[in-house]
Amino acid sequence: MNEELKAIWRSLFDWVMGNGPRPENEVIPPEPPPDLPFTLKPKDKYSRFHEATLKERYSQWVEIHGLHIFSIVYSGLSVLTCVVVVSLLLATVAELPPFGDEKNPANNEVIRRYVEHGGHETGAQNIVAGLILDYRAFDTFGESAVLFTAAVSVLMILGASRRNKQDNELSPNVNEDGKNFLQRGPPIKTFRKDDAILRGVATLSIPVILMMGCVVVINGHLSPGGGFSGGAILSTALILAANAYGFERVHDFFNERTFIVSSSTALMIYALSKGYSFFTGANHLHSIIPKGTIGNILSGGLILPLNICVGLIVAGTLYGFYALFSEGDM
Amino acid sequence: MIVIEWLLLIFLIVCAIAVSISKNLLNSVIIFMSYSLVMAVIWVLLRSPDLAITEAAVGAGVTSVLFFLALRKIGQMGHKEDEEK
Amino acid sequence: MIRVIIAGLLMLSGLFVLGIATLGIFRFSTMLNRIHVAAKCDTLGALLMLSGLIVLSGWNVFSLKLLLVIIFLWLCNPAASHLVARAEVKTHPNINSICDYIDLTNENKNDDN
Repeated sequence: MNEELKAIWRSLFDWVMGNGPRPENEVIPPEPPPDLPFTLKPKDKYSRFHEATLKERYSQWVEIHGLHIFSIVYSGLSVLTCVVVVSLLLATVAELPPFGDEKNPANNEVIRRYVEHGGHETGAQNIVAGLILDYRAFDTFGESAVLFTAAVSVLMILGASRRNKQDNELSPNVNEDGKNFLQRGPPIKTFRKDDAILRGVATLSIPVILMMGCVVVINGHLSPGGGFSGGAILSTALILAANAYGFERVHDFFNERTFIVSSSTALMIYALSKGYSFFTGANHLHSIIPKGTIGNILSGGLILPLNICVGLIVAGTLYGFYALFSEGDM
Repeated sequence: MIVIEWLLLIFLIVCAIAVSISKNLLNSVIIFMSYSLVMAVIWVLLRSPDLAITEAAVGAGVTSVLFFLALRKIGQMGHKEDEEK
Repeated sequence: MIRVIIAGLLMLSGLFVLGIATLGIFRFSTMLNRIHVAAKCDTLGALLMLSGLIVLSGWNVFSLKLLLVIIFLWLCNPAASHLVARAEVKTHPNINSICDYIDLTNENKNDDN
């Protein structure tokens, strides 16, 4: 019985290891003595008739049939996933109230709650600011994160080509055509230098535009505006400065490092403060953040710092887009 | 006032159709700028000044500048450069 | 009553100037002529219209805002028109065929980018 098991095991071992059929009169050498644990065992004991091992056979089989089977499994899984997700979504839609019905809670109760209790619940005079930065603050956080991610992606792509160009300049033996592929278009003549009229108008109007942007950002909870629009106004001021004085002047106080530091800091402050607010102030728990009196500049709880954060992110991102697309640098 | 709203809405529809059927990309971007401006006026008429400020600053200002830069990158800025090539 | 009459006269003249601007934009052929018409007539028409509104609304914060709008327009409109005309002059293939262009600044020799 034991010998039969050994024979079966040996044949299986031969099949796996790719040994050929062994002759009948083979003398199996005895096992190495167990008192030599570190000596090399005779490996090619059965390798007179070498065939492909199981691993090699498997890799050959994968090489021939693998892509076909993968495509079959992949399409089957994708169809399965689509069917499951679509059926889940349809089941959810079937449970929703009919669209446009006047008795829907979204059509009367939510709006009434915002209009009647929005003032003393958020402390903001501007109900829209209280809506997007207090009730729905995580949506605004997502928007800011999307903007920041887009700007960082553009910075990565265009900055990588810029760094390649610098490397090519450092080592001149690289190919002559190692130019930036994004700057391959027709050369654009820029005439922003020595334009006295544009420079004078920019000198007069840039402080006004900056002040307007700051006012829109800071008064976001009192008057129409807020972080997004104020940030866009600030970015237009930066773009005008870059066009009037050249990118080098703007680069002195707003460069890539400033953008990364300010945007990351603003996003982190947003996430931390809003997370704190949600963990402590939501669900009618006690919040230590004071609301202030409605109408003051220091009111609305977290809305003012959140507006400033969003304004910083938007201003940096839009100016960064302009600088990266026009100059390839920031 | 309702006449002005109707005029603006009709102009908006005409702009939206003209953006898509315009052959020149530069013309499309300029028409899109006017679309954003009219949209900002309509937001004001709908008593939503927040969206009006954002639309005027982003839609008519920064987005158009970015579109112009993208057109410049792909060399579709106008017919004169094509003649030079 | 006199205020309404003055405001109406101002706004009607503003409308007239703006209409001339629109007609000129459609009638003129080259771009420099068009920007000439658009810059001058838009600036003057906006001034007349807004001053008519100021006269109509009287002496309050709203008219002060309109005054600021006038100042901003008078700053930005000529500068923008100047930039457009400058870009046209710089990028036109043969600028001497449409106007007498005298290069006073020698910018074309210095700008290589």
